Amino acid sequence: MIPKKGTLPVLSLVFGLLFAIGFSVQFGSVEIQLKDLLTGLSDQQSLVIWELRLPRIIMTALVGAGLAVAGVTLQALFRNPLAEPGLIGVSSSAALGAVLVIVLGGAWWGGVSSWQMSVAAFVFAMFTTVLLYLIATRRGQTDVAMMLLAGVAINAIAGALTGLLITVSSDIQLRSVIFWMMGSFANVDWQDVAIVATVVLISLMGLWRLMKPLNAFLLGEQACLHMGYAVQPLKWWVMGLSALLVAAAVSLVGVIGFVGLVVPHMIRLWVGPDHRALIPLSALGGALLLVLADLLARSLLHPAELPIGLLMALLGGPFFLMMLLKRRDLKL
Amino acid sequence: MSRIRFNHLGFKIEQACLLSDVSGEFISGQIHAIVGQNGAGKSTLLRCLTKEWQATSGQIEFAGKPLNQMNFAELALQRSVLSQHQELAFSFTVKQLVRLGFEAQQTVCSEQQMLAVLEATDIQHLKHRDVLTLSGGEQKRAHLARVLAQIWPENSQVSEAFNGKWLFLDEWSEALDLKHQVQIGALLKQWAKQGLGVVMVSHDLNHVMQLSDSCLLLKAGTLFTQGATAEVMTSKNLSDVLDVPVVVLQNDVGYPIIMPKKFDDSLKVY
Repeated sequence: MIPKKGTLPVLSLVFGLLFAIGFSVQFGSVEIQLKDLLTGLSDQQSLVIWELRLPRIIMTALVGAGLAVAGVTLQALFRNPLAEPGLIGVSSSAALGAVLVIVLGGAWWGGVSSWQMSVAAFVFAMFTTVLLYLIATRRGQTDVAMMLLAGVAINAIAGALTGLLITVSSDIQLRSVIFWMMGSFANVDWQDVAIVATVVLISLMGLWRLMKPLNAFLLGEQACLHMGYAVQPLKWWVMGLSALLVAAAVSLVGVIGFVGLVVPHMIRLWVGPDHRALIPLSALGGALLLVLADLLARSLLHPAELPIGLLMALLGGPFFLMMLLKRRDLKL
Repeated sequence: MSRIRFNHLGFKIEQACLLSDVSGEFISGQIHAIVGQNGAGKSTLLRCLTKEWQATSGQIEFAGKPLNQMNFAELALQRSVLSQHQELAFSFTVKQLVRLGFEAQQTVCSEQQMLAVLEATDIQHLKHRDVLTLSGGEQKRAHLARVLAQIWPENSQVSEAFNGKWLFLDEWSEALDLKHQVQIGALLKQWAKQGLGVVMVSHDLNHVMQLSDSCLLLKAGTLFTQGATAEVMTSKNLSDVLDVPVVVLQNDVGYPIIMPKKFDDSLKVY
């Protein structure tokens, strides 16, 4: 499926990812080195690796892969490389859904489980994606300025409503909201990993047969129709799968922006915009980027930890500006 | 030989009636032009005939089958469409773009087919360039190549290679320089001889005069007349349809030349 020239990028990203994971496993308060893995770990070391570091690292990789692929699919839907779940408000809506469940759930039915948060996040992410599409696309043509400005508005509304919910929440709810909003990977267990792994795998499988029509979709809805692809079902699948990916990531680790912007852009520069290469490579690239970012977030202020959402915004913001400037020069 | 027949076609959108009671017929192996003023319904007719828009009244028959009973996958194998405007914000190379057209045929294209399409549109030397960095005319040729690729036969050299295939073009010559207008125009004629049916919307009347076998004249969303180019493209018809005095000059170039009569006198002074 992947074109021949995709072999080198796949191999280098896979090795890069394994290397980053290997490196990341060694880093932390308890000293563990790779050679200890061979000579045998102490009980404490094996507990740290299996219950703390590995679930966290694998979760980071899965979330990175999911967000990068969500970026690719939203960019295809809006036919523009600037569409990104964080920028256009899909992530903050998903976050609003999750917070709503924490606060209401805490008040009405006691304990809140992570699947309830995920479902609420999905419903809100899906609603926002459909709404944005209706606002920004008319007669099959996307207005990029409308898309980004509507994103600004949705981000503002979702942020304000989240703030409102926090204001009216009780102390205990507030604690769990803030804990969750930090967007950190610090409290991940294998059950969370399993949930996100399932979602990412299902989405990638769902996208597998859409990759060819998505290429035609980049030429516009009419051109896609004339090339013989069913446009309407394609759009629903793309909206659903990207909302699913964003919701899974956001409900478990909070809002992390710019992954879906930076990774697809870099991969496109490398192999071009063909989705048959772009989607699998972005998944790998997103995983690699977030594992590295998490390592950086843990090590920069060691022993304190930088929130990874904050770090990604620091890296991604200037990147976004650079892309805007490049588009200005191309007069797109 | 296949035909596209349409009867009493109408199209309404938000109370505006863009097309009403238009009937006609296009035959494969010929070039057909749709001519009219701005807003006369040329593109609307093209969109209805390609199923991009659903005609609000009337029937369309595509190669013997009612158009509304055919799906796009089926249609894509028989006809391709070049829209007036292209929407692309991603950096495909020219060759990747053209390959998208071939892939719509559900087959793998041979290097020979790829080369033939690139040469027909004269973009062979641009094949590794990013489409977004090309000039307007070069981009147009690249998209034309993509559209051609969708109906390109295995061997374009044999007679009747394009039998049963249709090409719908909305303003294909716009932005093209004279050399490429002539080159692609000549190829359209050649492919029509090989069985291709061409339906094009054009503002360039001399172009239409030189290329097309038949013309369909639209005026304010209604059919003015349809017939052989030499018979319907008369100064009387054109002056009426275009709402400006027009002369058709006979000469020894091989085809008549169309121009506005008394260029200055026909203009009001504001």
